[in-house]
Amino acid sequence: MGSVTRTKLMSIMALGAMIGLLLLPILVAIPALANDSGSPAAGVKKEGGDAKVEKGKDVYYKTEGIVSGPPAPKTTDSEKDYPRYNFESRVLLWFANQQHLYYGSFVLAVPIFCMIIEFMGVVSKDKALAKRYDQLAYDFIKISLTAYSLTAILGGILIFTFLTLYPAFFQYLSSIFRPVMHIYALMFVAESGTLYIYYYGWDKMKEGFLKWIHLSMSVVLNVIGTVLMFLANSWIGFMMSPAGVDEQGRYLGNIWHVIHTALWNPLNLHRILGNMAFGGGVVAAYAAYRFLSAKTDEERAHYDWMGYIAMALGVSFLIPLPFAGYWLMREVYAYRQQMGITLMGGLLAWLFIIQATMIGILFLSTNYYLWQALGRMRGAEKYQRYIKYLVFLLTCGFLVFITPHTIVMTPAELKAMGGQQHPVLGNYGVMSAKNGGINVIITTTVLSFVWYMRGNKVSTVSWSKFGNIFMGCFFFFAYLNIILLAIYGYYIPANVRVGLSVPQVATTLSCLFFMFALNSVMMKGAKQMGPIEWGKISARSQYALIMLATAFTWMMGLMGYIRSSVRLFWHVNEIMRDNSPWAYTHTVGFAANMISFNVLFFWTTIMFVFWLGALAAKKAPVEAKAAVPGRAAAPAVGH
Amino acid sequence: MKALMSVGALIGVVGLLMLIGMIFGVIPSNTVRLVEGYMPMQVLSELAIFVAGFAGLSYLLNSMGVAFPRFWQGILFWVFIQTYLKFRIYPPIPFSVRAMYGTVSFVAVFMWVSANEEDWKKFRQPILNVLDANTGFHKALRTMYLILLPLLIGGFSFLSMKPSVDEPIELRTVHPAPPASTKVHGKTYTLQTSQNPYRVNPEGKYDQEYSNKLIVEQSMGRLMAPNANPWDDKAQGYLKYVREGGEIFFQNCHFCHGDNLNGRGLHAFAFNPIPANFTDPGTIAQLQETFIFWRVAKGGIGLPTEGFPWASVMPPWEQHLTTDEIWKVILFEYWHTGYYPRTWD
Repeated sequence: MGSVTRTKLMSIMALGAMIGLLLLPILVAIPALANDSGSPAAGVKKEGGDAKVEKGKDVYYKTEGIVSGPPAPKTTDSEKDYPRYNFESRVLLWFANQQHLYYGSFVLAVPIFCMIIEFMGVVSKDKALAKRYDQLAYDFIKISLTAYSLTAILGGILIFTFLTLYPAFFQYLSSIFRPVMHIYALMFVAESGTLYIYYYGWDKMKEGFLKWIHLSMSVVLNVIGTVLMFLANSWIGFMMSPAGVDEQGRYLGNIWHVIHTALWNPLNLHRILGNMAFGGGVVAAYAAYRFLSAKTDEERAHYDWMGYIAMALGVSFLIPLPFAGYWLMREVYAYRQQMGITLMGGLLAWLFIIQATMIGILFLSTNYYLWQALGRMRGAEKYQRYIKYLVFLLTCGFLVFITPHTIVMTPAELKAMGGQQHPVLGNYGVMSAKNGGINVIITTTVLSFVWYMRGNKVSTVSWSKFGNIFMGCFFFFAYLNIILLAIYGYYIPANVRVGLSVPQVATTLSCLFFMFALNSVMMKGAKQMGPIEWGKISARSQYALIMLATAFTWMMGLMGYIRSSVRLFWHVNEIMRDNSPWAYTHTVGFAANMISFNVLFFWTTIMFVFWLGALAAKKAPVEAKAAVPGRAAAPAVGH
Repeated sequence: MKALMSVGALIGVVGLLMLIGMIFGVIPSNTVRLVEGYMPMQVLSELAIFVAGFAGLSYLLNSMGVAFPRFWQGILFWVFIQTYLKFRIYPPIPFSVRAMYGTVSFVAVFMWVSANEEDWKKFRQPILNVLDANTGFHKALRTMYLILLPLLIGGFSFLSMKPSVDEPIELRTVHPAPPASTKVHGKTYTLQTSQNPYRVNPEGKYDQEYSNKLIVEQSMGRLMAPNANPWDDKAQGYLKYVREGGEIFFQNCHFCHGDNLNGRGLHAFAFNPIPANFTDPGTIAQLQETFIFWRVAKGGIGLPTEGFPWASVMPPWEQHLTTDEIWKVILFEYWHTGYYPRTWD
């Protein structure tokens, strides 16, 4: 047997092992799930030898089930239920949780990027470009490898923090999720195994059929990662919108009900997109940092390109993120009006204004980066003079989007305003206007992307004039449609208004997909005004990337806090009350400081991870080095 | 292009002069009136016109060879936005919101002036000139800044540390979060699922679509829909209940909430904040009918801790009205304002 065939065989076996690892937890879980309904149920009372089955009603699904677990403990403010150091336990848990989530998100997002970039490399016809993509994917996974160990360590710290400071609550939660707890643990084993085979097999499987096997491994890796995240999401979904238990919190034997709560799916979608955007931001910031500290043009060119790719991937997931968030909020309102109002009109409303500001900053930073990037291609000057109008559109959308419904004002200002409602701000402060605002922002971002994609090109297709006019009209009517629908939203019932977001989103997305497609067709075989001069971009653009990543990190911390604190004084909403001394909502200022501390800590530690990554820098092959953009004129497909 | 830009320039100059004239009282402040109901779009449209006007002006000056420095363009545009927000929009915008808008417009100006390398160089050149101080004028300017800046910072610090006699900012939530259910006159109502028993069609069934067709027109005239006059003696069913709700409203609520339901009743200005303006799209139009039912029944005193921080002195109307009367008055409020109660399906 030749060595190539043996390698092939080994690769297929490795892939099979990975799939086996993926299926292992499920296979192991089958007996547990099967026994589940007949587990020693708390509801089975033996009276004189006759077993009496106690039934309970699911708080969410309203179905009947056999009581199969203990009720939620009624805790008291004591050392027994809430052992403590001389410090606020909640803050410690908050810190441990947030750090684990940052790293967890990062290591789940980066392999998805690797998969996409590796795929781009595999299908690329340009050999030099394919190598660059492959090297980039390898760089990405290398960064995530160290982060992966840290994620596991932080996960351990988190569990210990739970066990030490909130034993009663953790015991209850683990009793509910008992049938899937070990699946989660085994998934971790599967994830680690897969990741190591994927990483260490990179050089061995870099050509032909083996490369496809390697790529398949990344798919398996990401499936495992996603299932892991979905399981973790089911815990927070249960805490926010419990199901599968009765009013006393007793498990009713159906684990799927416990997992599949009202908010599980919206949370899953929102977190996938959020992780991807966050991962893109972190890698882009890494590239920006390396760009700014680069000593040679070659390095600058490489990290400029890396930053661009990471930013583009991150932003492509950022664009649908507000829509996923909208769906999540809609489901929150539908689940509990009280929760929705606490979030958006009540106690936590100001945090939502901060969130809107952060979203605006993300899109502004992205646009700013793209405008700066126009500077590295000759011929893009024709677009630069119109940037001021894009700034205006973005600013108007942003101003409307961040207008608070609950205004902070002195009593004197309140009097001067003549009432609680302002005739301008009052209209901007509600959902109809905000939907219009965010859609204008996203559409403008799409327009910036289109300009960037055609920056150094002139279309040579015979219908280019018509195409340009059509694109202009398309964007004009898209803006018009979004704004008119936003105005129309004030004149219709709320349930119709909520539905109105669909045509608005459809307008924005049709700009994204249709205009991108049309632009690509128009630019096929286009005349190039000059190459993209990678590395010749302003330092400001790199600060925009760092800003983008910081805003992502801060926003993740903020949204996590909002999602968690909306439960108010409940560990598990309406089921298990939080009776610790810390069952109050922090002030906005304290929360903001805590989030900033978490962000700072994450960035300090991730810098350490980057440094470690740089220490173990893999020497790039000579031919790959030769293909680094900046040495040779980079191909236009680089966008 | 030149003609188009000239028109833009003309609009820019006229608009600017009018704004300055209105601020200093040379031109009556109602020359171009901001009309309630249309104000949000009017404000955005006016800003768009100004931007087009300034772009035209800049283009024209450039083509005449008297380019206006980019540095001053940026600074003056930001000053213009602040002036517009402070003096053009009435009622005045609270400082916290103006500060937010000011920061956003500052960032926007920065993005504009630094969008490309050439513009950025033009913008920062005057700053670099002062810092380098290669001429006598720039040297004097730099010395002046050296003295002025610490003074300004000192003055700002002094003012912010100076004890103030102003009332402190009082945070409150516009919509206190409601409980899952509420008990009124011995009956428990689940807020998520309860319905107004008087929002019915001629068959006596709950029918929001039917009642939606009979409410007043929401735009400025607030005209009644044809054949939908609750004060018609022959009015039956839904419209009759609206009339009864109206009677209850004018006997109990209008003293504070006003006869036009805009929160400007006879006693309204004894309170701060004044009572809720139901004609604003941010109040009852945003809420479920059951939310209003809970708020009316429990008043300000009965608000739960979840709703904190709040500021409401509304009496708990369950002590004065029957459950039916509360539902009817809510029916009237929606009918009169032309808004639809929020629903989830």
